[in-house]
Amino acid sequence: MNKITSIFLTSVCVIVPVLANQDYSTARPGVRFAPLHIYLDSGNRSLAAYQFELKATAGQIKIVGVEGGQHQAFKEAPYYDPSALAQDRIIIAAFRTGGNLPKGRTQIATIHLQIIGDAEPEYELKLAVAGDADGKEIPAEIAFEKGE
Amino acid sequence: MKAKTKILFSSIILGSTAIVLVYSFVGCRQSLTSIDHAKISTELSHQQQNVSEEKSSLGIRQTLVKSDEVKYVEELKKPEFTGTPLALAPTPPVDQQDVKHYRKPEDRDVSSLSAVRGPVLGDKPLVTDGTTFGFDVTEFNEAVTYGWEGQVSDTYGGGMSGGYGGGGMTGGMGGMGGYGGGQQPTSVSLGNRRSAGKALYYDARPMRGPDRQIPVELLNVSADEIWVIAKAETQAVPVDEDTPGSGAMLAKLPKEEKEIPMPLKHTDVKGQISGYIATVDVTQQFHNPYDEKIEAVYVFPLPQNAAINEFIMTIGERRIRGIIRERKEAEQIYQQAKRQGHVASLLTQERPNIFTQKVANIEPSKQIDVNIKYFNTLAYVDGWYEFVFPMVVGPRFNPPGFTDGVGAIARGKAGISGQKTEVQYLKPGERSGHDISLAVDIDAGVAIEEVVCTSHVVTNNSSSHNKRTVKLSSLDSIPNKDFVLRYKVAGKTVKSALVTHRDERGGFFTLMLYPPENLSYIKRAPMEMIFVLDCSGSMSGKPIAKAKQAITRALKKLQPDDTFQVIRFSNNASQLGPNPLPATPENIRRGLEYVESLSGSGGTMMIEGIKAALDFAHDPQRFRLVSFMTDGYIGNETEILAAIHQRLGASRIFSFGVGSSVNRYLLDRMAKLGKGAVAYIGLDESAGKVVEKFYDRISHPALTDVEIDWGNMQVTDMYPSRIPDLFVGRPVIITGRFKANSSTTIHVKGKVGDMTQDIAIAADLGDLAITHSGIACVWARKKIETLGSRATYDTNPDLPGEIKQVALEYGLMSAYTAFIAVDSSHKTSGDHGVTVAVPVPVPDGVRYETTVQQN
Repeated sequence: MNKITSIFLTSVCVIVPVLANQDYSTARPGVRFAPLHIYLDSGNRSLAAYQFELKATAGQIKIVGVEGGQHQAFKEAPYYDPSALAQDRIIIAAFRTGGNLPKGRTQIATIHLQIIGDAEPEYELKLAVAGDADGKEIPAEIAFEKGE
Repeated sequence: MKAKTKILFSSIILGSTAIVLVYSFVGCRQSLTSIDHAKISTELSHQQQNVSEEKSSLGIRQTLVKSDEVKYVEELKKPEFTGTPLALAPTPPVDQQDVKHYRKPEDRDVSSLSAVRGPVLGDKPLVTDGTTFGFDVTEFNEAVTYGWEGQVSDTYGGGMSGGYGGGGMTGGMGGMGGYGGGQQPTSVSLGNRRSAGKALYYDARPMRGPDRQIPVELLNVSADEIWVIAKAETQAVPVDEDTPGSGAMLAKLPKEEKEIPMPLKHTDVKGQISGYIATVDVTQQFHNPYDEKIEAVYVFPLPQNAAINEFIMTIGERRIRGIIRERKEAEQIYQQAKRQGHVASLLTQERPNIFTQKVANIEPSKQIDVNIKYFNTLAYVDGWYEFVFPMVVGPRFNPPGFTDGVGAIARGKAGISGQKTEVQYLKPGERSGHDISLAVDIDAGVAIEEVVCTSHVVTNNSSSHNKRTVKLSSLDSIPNKDFVLRYKVAGKTVKSALVTHRDERGGFFTLMLYPPENLSYIKRAPMEMIFVLDCSGSMSGKPIAKAKQAITRALKKLQPDDTFQVIRFSNNASQLGPNPLPATPENIRRGLEYVESLSGSGGTMMIEGIKAALDFAHDPQRFRLVSFMTDGYIGNETEILAAIHQRLGASRIFSFGVGSSVNRYLLDRMAKLGKGAVAYIGLDESAGKVVEKFYDRISHPALTDVEIDWGNMQVTDMYPSRIPDLFVGRPVIITGRFKANSSTTIHVKGKVGDMTQDIAIAADLGDLAITHSGIACVWARKKIETLGSRATYDTNPDLPGEIKQVALEYGLMSAYTAFIAVDSSHKTSGDHGVTVAVPVPVPDGVRYETTVQQN
């Protein structure tokens, strides 16, 4: 009995300070923020408009901001569809009718994400449409790069 | 011996354990209150609310002063005004109190102005679709308007036809639902090309001020810790006024040679008016003048009917569009981003006209801009459209025991009000460096006859007969009162106008429904006039003087068959007599004397005024009209609106907002719930004239029992669902959804006296329809407003969910949604810094001493 009491009290003495100093957040799912850069390759055609859809197929994410691309034509923050956001996906679109339109591979947007949990998320990215300055649909490929 | 050893050994172990446990506990506390706030659970994400609630249990300090203990002395002289009578207005003032006073720039303290004026946008390049242009800051070269422009006339009328599509609104790609105009699309179809959406951004180079050293005691102390400290002290938190917690941009005080840092540098407002819909871009420029990181918190007003659907955070040249989310979720994301060192911003709604902007992790000398865009419909009264931009939240009174209000506290006294939201105010004589620039482009579609701004000094340029650009003069850039701009359009007959918008969600419309023009031939029924005057401390001075002028004028207009009562309220309510008095000359004289004897002091227990005005037997022979004269500076709006709904009976409420920056949300809702109307009397306006015209219009309803036959429009979700009576000169805006796509005719039927009147309105729903991309937002905002109004008296638990659903679907701010923007690509170093509240001046004409809690 005395041994048990001693062991118990000693354990309390050791464990309590350790627990007290432990990072509280480690007991909860990790939360971090990271960007996802979106690229569109329109080949030798000038890109004037696009619409794409993004969703996570694995992992848990929340979209916390949408930023424009690097090229001047798509630097402005693009619009998103709020009703789609309620279904855990985001539909983003932008257009540009002036000159100086990009060709080839261009960063068109950056999606700012909150990533919840330790699982690395996987994404599904679909290009709905890409168009040129005449309003005609053009072939293009969309891709993403994970940022830190 | 052995037993003694055991006892000794056990005692040592127990003693050691106790010491270690105490140490551990202290260590835990230290850990929780130190830098690593990621350890703190989500309870702390709502720290402000929780702490406020805890404080309330400790007791709320409310200063209740009996109204008859303080004598009001009229201020007849004010240094910055001169008594120049109306030089431009043709109508002479009726009495001396109605004389307009105009600001004269030369009378201003120029040295103090130069000290407080921050850099204006004009020295920064502004780029619109690749075209760079600058702002003309040399406004003195333009005609500066100091008061009424052109002829002031009692005639009313105007024109609404034509001129909608495009004017002031940005176009978009065919089928894209108005990209660039603020609509958020769900699909893109590549069709015909229109003009590009307006892409506005400017070079936001950081403006580095002199280095400011954060006091040692606040280094490495987070905002959370400040709250903890404040809670312990509760009522007496010693905060140095120089600390970051007090805020104020680098500006010298007039009487003190010291600088006060402030994180809000400038607000830029750009409005575009097309027809009766305004699209407004508000840019708040936050910067950090310290050498440590800060979080800026700014409580500010916007119009109560603003449909906010766009939020962009700008860091240098990068622009990040904010995302609409459920409020609690957005607050959690913000707290997590803040703790991890990301630049983040959060916009929440405290009231339909009060918002809180938070910007986290602003690094030293860096600037973060936040752009907010909203749509709203303009008021139209007696031939004049009215554009209002509020600039400051007035100091609110919160009844004892109430904690969900808006506290008015002195700079640097965070937490002393015990309210969920607090606004910090600058002392008299203090001036922050926060200034405002404002420009409004009006495209009326028809000729604009007059443009008037009674609240501010403006410049007014005209590019064509139906377009005007009005700019706030840099001489009048202190944001301490509502900007009120009125313009009159040509034409004697104003026609009802239908504006539509159609996208993948369906059709949306707004109909501005005008009553018949002249109904003076209808005999007015005897009235029971109840005047309810707010005699609280915030009304002290010019506001109560204006309100007394208004009642005086109205009493003199009473007819022999009428009866009247005058009720005053502050901490309690009292009245002229036990019952309404017949409007005999003798009784009117008594009433005038009673009104003259009233002064402003004490709290704003409006509920007492409501009870006194609505809780006595109604004379069925008379039309009971209850007029509230108040600035509406209360934090318990919901309680007041619920009381009106419960007690209204046969009364009608007509609310008068008196002052430079009144609570228009409360006043508007009181009038709507009270089936009446609202009017506003600015401090530089003639109270008598406003009141006289107001009572002339409302003394007999223009069109009653109104019904609308929508033809084949297939209208659904219409707001208001029941059309109110239409008063002369005061149209009603109806918004709803429709399915049809062919033209039809709308018939509005109602009674004018004993006769039935039918008004036919052509509704073009085809390609030639007058369209506006903001209509869907206006409709959604109106639905949110209607549901929110119902929630004040209806306990249906589904209402918050319905509001949230509409707000999320249409990307709109509401009490249950918020905008969040996080820059995930960059982490600032170190702790997230100190929270700095932005202090604001008390509104023009309001006394700091009687309205702001200082201890």
